Amino acid sequence: MTGMTKSDGKQKAAVAVSVQNVNMTFDGFHAVDSASFDLDQGRFLTILGPSGSGKTTLLRMIAGFQKPSSGEIFINGAPVSAAPPHKRSVGMVFQKLALFPHMTAAENVAFPLKMRRFDATTIPERVQRYLDLVQLGSYADRRIHQLSGGQQQRVAIARALVFEPDLLLLDEPLAALDRKLREEMQLEFRRIQRELGVTTINVTHDQREALVVSDEVVVMDKGRIQQMASPTATYRTPANAFVAGFIGVTNFLNGTVKSTAGQEVIFAAGEREFIGHWSAAAGAPTVSANVVGALRAEQVRMATSADELGQCRTVLSAAVTDAIFEGERTAYEVTVGMDGNIIRVFDHDPAAHKQFGIGEAVFIGWNPQDVMIYPN
Amino acid sequence: MTAPLSKSIVIWVMVGLVLLTLSAPTVVVLGASFTSGNIIVFPPNGFSLQWYGKIASDVGLRGAFMRSLTVAAICTVIAIPVGTLAGIALAKYAIKFERSLQVYLLLPFTIPLIGSGIGLMLLFGQMGILGQIWPIGIACCVINLPFMIWAVTASAANLDPDLELAAANCGAPPIATFFHVTLPAVMPGVISGSLLMFILALNEFLVSLLLTDARTVTLPVQIYNSIRSIITPDLAAISVVFIACAAIIIALLDRLVGLDIFLKSK
Repeated sequence: MTGMTKSDGKQKAAVAVSVQNVNMTFDGFHAVDSASFDLDQGRFLTILGPSGSGKTTLLRMIAGFQKPSSGEIFINGAPVSAAPPHKRSVGMVFQKLALFPHMTAAENVAFPLKMRRFDATTIPERVQRYLDLVQLGSYADRRIHQLSGGQQQRVAIARALVFEPDLLLLDEPLAALDRKLREEMQLEFRRIQRELGVTTINVTHDQREALVVSDEVVVMDKGRIQQMASPTATYRTPANAFVAGFIGVTNFLNGTVKSTAGQEVIFAAGEREFIGHWSAAAGAPTVSANVVGALRAEQVRMATSADELGQCRTVLSAAVTDAIFEGERTAYEVTVGMDGNIIRVFDHDPAAHKQFGIGEAVFIGWNPQDVMIYPN
Repeated sequence: MTAPLSKSIVIWVMVGLVLLTLSAPTVVVLGASFTSGNIIVFPPNGFSLQWYGKIASDVGLRGAFMRSLTVAAICTVIAIPVGTLAGIALAKYAIKFERSLQVYLLLPFTIPLIGSGIGLMLLFGQMGILGQIWPIGIACCVINLPFMIWAVTASAANLDPDLELAAANCGAPPIATFFHVTLPAVMPGVISGSLLMFILALNEFLVSLLLTDARTVTLPVQIYNSIRSIITPDLAAISVVFIACAAIIIALLDRLVGLDIFLKSK
């Protein structure tokens, strides 16, 4: 790897990928709108977004398959917009893998080495080393169609990494796998990425995958980057209502600001008043502004009497309209009072807590720090 | 499985009829070629290989057969690069005037062969190249090219566009991508298309009739010329040779494009 270390003595990692104000327009449609971010050497970044959010377009521009309408992408400090894909030191695992069907596993892995004119005498040893890395050492001579889905994934990873690229791109390669294999491969990606220390950009619409595998998460929607933060920060302090709604299961309370005091915001939603808090990521709202309060399903407490929710500052009476036992948790839907607002509630310890049935009258409660306020 | 007996009887009778109708000409000609008599009849009079011996020793027929093979070879050699590139281009790229181009390439199908034949005869006559073998090969290529293009297009349409991007990502420049990835992926289409082109050119009659003379006569035209004088069982024997050629090519096709399974991942 062509690692660079800055000589400022602070052990600061060099920027491996820098996306600067990149736009992509198709016939007036902004597929990617002023995207900018920096990614340090050796980090694992996931671009998370719904389909059509522009995440794949951004990845393809980094790979060189599409040229930005404007803006520039730097890999290890060098602008790459003018370089065709075959001149970039970027390995990619494709969504449908795109393994060469007429070649064996080993031939697939050897292909980038041949094309990039590696010393022919070292190729077999290197191919074997990377097949071993992905635990396919004994499958070298198998043809692609003779391998299982998971094994094909591994060949694709080996092919993308064998020439030691500056950057590894993953274009939702796990989307087609069943859940168990997908989760296994997520950890496998993580293991290999840590072992080789290769800077990685992963694209997915799977929020769980983004949280599990990444050092950093970029959330995209409608071509724009909504937030870039660590998985924990993305989950705990979403920058806006979209991020809050896209990751995790979130209840939204629409209302108007009555007053603010410090971090706390009192806002009216329908007949009621609620207290929430604003975060630095979203900024403080002004009085009488329209806002939305975002409340995670797992932050809502539920009990048979209001007394049991003594530690909650907001307590409401509600009726259970749905209760789904999911094994490790129970997912409830409750209707609040006469406005008919539906609130989703997760009980993450069904074995220890009282379980409620459909139609039961309950009380739900939460605290101001559980409600994140965003402009609406 | 539990269909009533009457239904399965009807189906089998129909299948039998179709098979009989399709194979009747072949069976008749095959039978007639083994006759030991002097006239072409079915069922044959006795059994002998004398007519095969006769055609094998007939210099005129042998020459015509060799010329037909040459024509077929020229046609195929031209059709492979032209048809492959055109087929891939039509299947994969958004080309300007794609529709019109497709119609234009299929034009040889819509024009009666006698029309194309006369057109080519006039053209080649003016260029002064009538009376040579290679223009017949080119003519066969022109009129049958749509088969080649169709075969390749069918293969190329199944091609995952990411495959070429993956090759580029592996460091392959466009030409290497074409030879290492695109071409192997459409190979089944190229093989079936070129075998088809070969056999069509080998059998081509109408256009060749207009383009050949006594020195360049091809086998189908030679047979036609013989029919006009006396019909002898050697014609049946030649026909069997033709059928054998076609059978060999179909067997080849099966063998090679049976490779299909190896070339495709799923």
